[in-house]
Amino acid sequence: MESAESLIAHIQGLSSAPEDLAQLHNLLKQSEESLESLAPNLGPLLNQLDPSKHSLGFLYILEAYASATHGEQENNLVSTIAKFIDSCVTEQICLAPEKFVSVCRKLKDEAMQLQMPIRGVAPLRTAVRKLQPTSEHLTTLHPDFLVLCLLAKCYKAGFSVLEDDIVEVEQPRDFFLYCYYGGMICIGLKRFRKAMELLYYVITSPMSSMNAIAIESYKKYILVSLINNGQFSNLPKYTSSVFSRNQKNFCQYYNELATSYASGKISELQSCLEAYKDKFETDNNVGLVKQVVSSLYKRNIQRLTQMYLTLSLQDIANTVQLSSTKEAEMHVLQMIQDGEIFATINQKDGMVSFHEDPEQYKSCEMIEHIDSSIQRIMALSKKLTTMDEQVSSDPIYLAKLGRERQRFDLDDFDTVPQKFHM
Amino acid sequence: MDFSPLNEALVSKSYDKIAEILDELMLQAATDGVPYQDEWPYSIHLLGHIIANDINSARFLWKSIPGGVKESRPEVAAVWRIGQQLWLRDYAAVHEAVRGFDWSAELRDLVVAFSELYTKRIFLLLLSAYSTISIGDTARFLGMTEEDATNYTQRQGWIVDPASGMLTVTKQPVVKEQKLDSSKLQRLTEYVFHLEH
Repeated sequence: MESAESLIAHIQGLSSAPEDLAQLHNLLKQSEESLESLAPNLGPLLNQLDPSKHSLGFLYILEAYASATHGEQENNLVSTIAKFIDSCVTEQICLAPEKFVSVCRKLKDEAMQLQMPIRGVAPLRTAVRKLQPTSEHLTTLHPDFLVLCLLAKCYKAGFSVLEDDIVEVEQPRDFFLYCYYGGMICIGLKRFRKAMELLYYVITSPMSSMNAIAIESYKKYILVSLINNGQFSNLPKYTSSVFSRNQKNFCQYYNELATSYASGKISELQSCLEAYKDKFETDNNVGLVKQVVSSLYKRNIQRLTQMYLTLSLQDIANTVQLSSTKEAEMHVLQMIQDGEIFATINQKDGMVSFHEDPEQYKSCEMIEHIDSSIQRIMALSKKLTTMDEQVSSDPIYLAKLGRERQRFDLDDFDTVPQKFHM
Repeated sequence: MDFSPLNEALVSKSYDKIAEILDELMLQAATDGVPYQDEWPYSIHLLGHIIANDINSARFLWKSIPGGVKESRPEVAAVWRIGQQLWLRDYAAVHEAVRGFDWSAELRDLVVAFSELYTKRIFLLLLSAYSTISIGDTARFLGMTEEDATNYTQRQGWIVDPASGMLTVTKQPVVKEQKLDSSKLQRLTEYVFHLEH
């Protein structure tokens, strides 16, 4: 066992060359117990180290110190950890990722306890980036970061990590939480398509037993897909049987909501809403349910555009169950503004004419768009091929396949889960 | 706090960057444990989101403002009234909210910039959504008197029918960049070639 002073000297001496770092890492591991016993007094030692040079040593001492300290005793703890996350060297902290995660979680807990979740947003954003080998990797800190963003109402900051496509996942639980919280962020920003994508990952993931994250995700998924697509189609065949069998016990009223939506009748939707009002409230989904109702008006107007070339505002108001022509006009106007329909309103005659999508697919912008979509699909296809090769040469998979060959048929798997969006 | 990036954006009138700059500064201040909330330029921050047409972010920012600040700084609440009307899509009430407050000197330019931007945006909406529209509605949408609205739209080629009090909208053909550079075509050709062979 070493004294704290000689440990500091070692850290200062062994933090530059990679071979030294390995030796230092061993030393630190051996000193873990003594650090733990000294924990409350380690604060001043940190001042002798430079987090941007001695990151690994700093991390070990900070972790021991942080786990023995609470914010009330040491008001600077949050700032100390935040500064460390900001300046530490990625290569060094990646030698002890579990220590790094523990320190970051401490920061998150402290920020929550102080009721200032926003204090943790920027540090955890940096921490996620430093811990990720590539932007395709999910870290165990992703969900922590997203929770802080939700609590601090920094939705846009949270969205910055959701733009990366995640391919590498270690812990299923991290992935479930990442998708659930990520879905909530997208819902707040009204990026419904991305929200659907994330929530869809949760409900169609393999699972051996029911879990609360999947149930809550499924509820939101039904609502968002009604808002965004105007319909909810059943779960795909590759959904785990545990989930598709049991979801009815938890989500029946959402299924009923989807059925009443499909009738196209506002009154029917309203009465379903009334019947399960309390449940939607307990689920914290009232805001989404309200958006479902207003989307039904839109859906019904959209349906009219497919049947008529021109229609009077009065007829629109009657068919869609709106109380006045003015209200019908405002609905149509909003939909034109959002690019959901193509139409012109003639106030003089009280008529609306519906048009085809005027896009002619020949502008530079469109070519650019098509090109980038093709590029993305090509990259995706390459990735898929690599993964397929990896799986098909995996010994565990092959052994299992040998045993179960009779049970599966290729037709059991949908080829394309849903409409592909560009 | 170092607000120099904000001041630069204000001086160069890059108003669309304000929200992003302040978002980052706020995260930084919070991380450093600086008690920023009492002094934070919330009204500029809110207006920055509104100018960038990001009403969701404006709404979340409003929700995160401490109750005391909302009460003690009427200008912050006045800016949010604009955002609220945008959120509700009450086109005419947006203009009323803009006119309904005596803006401080530091905010005046920003509010004027927003108001001009918004009027332009709504004019384009009317242009695409209507073939005929009453003078009264046009005035309400554009936040002008009926006379000003008539003059404004006439300058854009709209035709007044005094008998019915209606304006006939004249659409201008939108010119879109259609010139392709040859490398793009080359690339698309390669894709097709690849698919066919």
